[in-house]
Amino acid sequence: MHLLKKPWIIAVGVIPALAIYLIFSIVPIFISFYYSLMSWNGFSEMQFVGLANFKEVLQDSVFWVSVRNNILVVLASVFGQIPIALALALLLNRKMKGAKFFRTIGFMPVVISTVVISITWRMIYNSEYGMINNFLEAVGLGFLQQNWLGDPTWAMIAICITIIWQFVGLYFIIFLSALQTVPSEILEAADLDGASEWKKTIHVVLPSIWNIILISIVLCISGSLKTFDLIYVMTSGGPANSTEVMATYMYDKTFEGLRYGYGSAISVLIFVFSIALILITTKLLRRKEV
Amino acid sequence: MKESAVNYDKVSRQARKKKRVKRSAIYLILLLFTIVNAYPIFWMIMNSFKTGQEFSTDPFGLPDEWVFVNYVEAWVTANIGTYFFNSLFVGIVALLICIMVGAFASYFLARFRFKGRNLLYGFFVVGLLVPIHATLVPMFILMQKLGFLNTHLALIFPYVAFNLSITIFLLTSFMSSFPKEIEESAIMDGCGPFRIFWSIILPMSRPALATAVILNFINNWNEFSFALVLINDDALSTLPLGLANFAGEYTTNYTAQMAGLTLVLIPTILFYLVMEKQIVNGMTQGAVKG
Repeated sequence: MHLLKKPWIIAVGVIPALAIYLIFSIVPIFISFYYSLMSWNGFSEMQFVGLANFKEVLQDSVFWVSVRNNILVVLASVFGQIPIALALALLLNRKMKGAKFFRTIGFMPVVISTVVISITWRMIYNSEYGMINNFLEAVGLGFLQQNWLGDPTWAMIAICITIIWQFVGLYFIIFLSALQTVPSEILEAADLDGASEWKKTIHVVLPSIWNIILISIVLCISGSLKTFDLIYVMTSGGPANSTEVMATYMYDKTFEGLRYGYGSAISVLIFVFSIALILITTKLLRRKEV
Repeated sequence: MKESAVNYDKVSRQARKKKRVKRSAIYLILLLFTIVNAYPIFWMIMNSFKTGQEFSTDPFGLPDEWVFVNYVEAWVTANIGTYFFNSLFVGIVALLICIMVGAFASYFLARFRFKGRNLLYGFFVVGLLVPIHATLVPMFILMQKLGFLNTHLALIFPYVAFNLSITIFLLTSFMSSFPKEIEESAIMDGCGPFRIFWSIILPMSRPALATAVILNFINNWNEFSFALVLINDDALSTLPLGLANFAGEYTTNYTAQMAGLTLVLIPTILFYLVMEKQIVNGMTQGAVKG
């Protein structure tokens, strides 16, 4: 690192990236603040309506369903992906044949496009030809068959399962590589003390990767807040709005209902909600650390 | 004396047996995880080679007779070739721009000291947390104003902007790790900062660049929501968008849908198997380093 005599050179280097980043990532957030105060159908004259859009959103029961579903997705991700991934990583964290194979297949869903996953799982859940119902039939549990995505009580659960399936592998691999950094001297010392594997895990291994677990939780929350594609393709928020999340609700209102101002107001709320949730969790987790 | 030896033998045999049982249980769990991960994909690929008739009567096993009609149908009616080209074009152009401006900015952020450096770096990296969907509506409005709607530019710029955060994060942390003697002799020889960037820092950053390139490409290749909102012309659709539309139109022709999905999936999986190490590194580094 060193100082440069001509600071304008730094500007030349940084400005292209900064300009693109500002215009296409930060400016849109401010645009949505501006348009959220308007009533606009995309064609006719725009009208300033103050906070009317926000008032209407907050009184719409479908919006609150979508907030609840967003929270459900976050909870399912944090309490589904993280523990399963951690357990699997602890199991694989030893010398064993086929370790490479388990890792490769374990991570595979993470690289597959969400659209491909969504369409595939839509067929898996299909009530007539789907894999799950066919399987239940084949093993004589036909009475458990459901119209998984068509039934409001099951649809959200079915979606959460797919989301967990999609990203377990990511945290599995993150935890595996974290486990490899646990110093072997400490583990050997614990062995000499006659600690059982369970005790070693609780008292030595988990504390030393605790930081990674916390970071993964934050990643998991911010990742699951981005859920849109999967639900849009699998159910488009249906049946009867039972799987609506904030982003699909926003999409419907804006592009199906042609209400750009209203959609912008929802955008603002998504932004505020996401940032608030991430800030709160980082704060909470930090405090525990101390 | 003799008796205790026998006893000891018995104990160790028991311990060994216990160990073997434990090992088998671990294998069993990991195998189950692998099946849950891979079988849905396998199920889909197998069924894409069956006739609709066979799919409805025997959805589980291998096809009796491998048929390719579904592939013909998917390729011809779904324009997979066009989508493929569009995805490739948008993905590569966006990644080239992102890597160029990103690497340039990272160089100055990593190798120079100037006022506001940390602030600027933080500003770039915080983009990792921006919920992309909060910008869908404003991005649509912005692109409409710029006249980019329904052109590939409408996708290229947001893709660059949203990948800049991770790109700058990866490259800056990599470039900061070089000792500062690296440039000193070059400066003695009268090399300017641009020359140092081009002939010293950039070549040295090859591993991080490879990771960033792959990550950019996968993100662009799989992206759906911006394409959905900003592209409204089948001839310009990227693969995820085209595929979602195709599956939406041919809702009852499951085997053709599966053929379309498989066509998209196979290159992704091959790419993953060949580049597994870099892909996994890129996608998990954020957590492990963060």
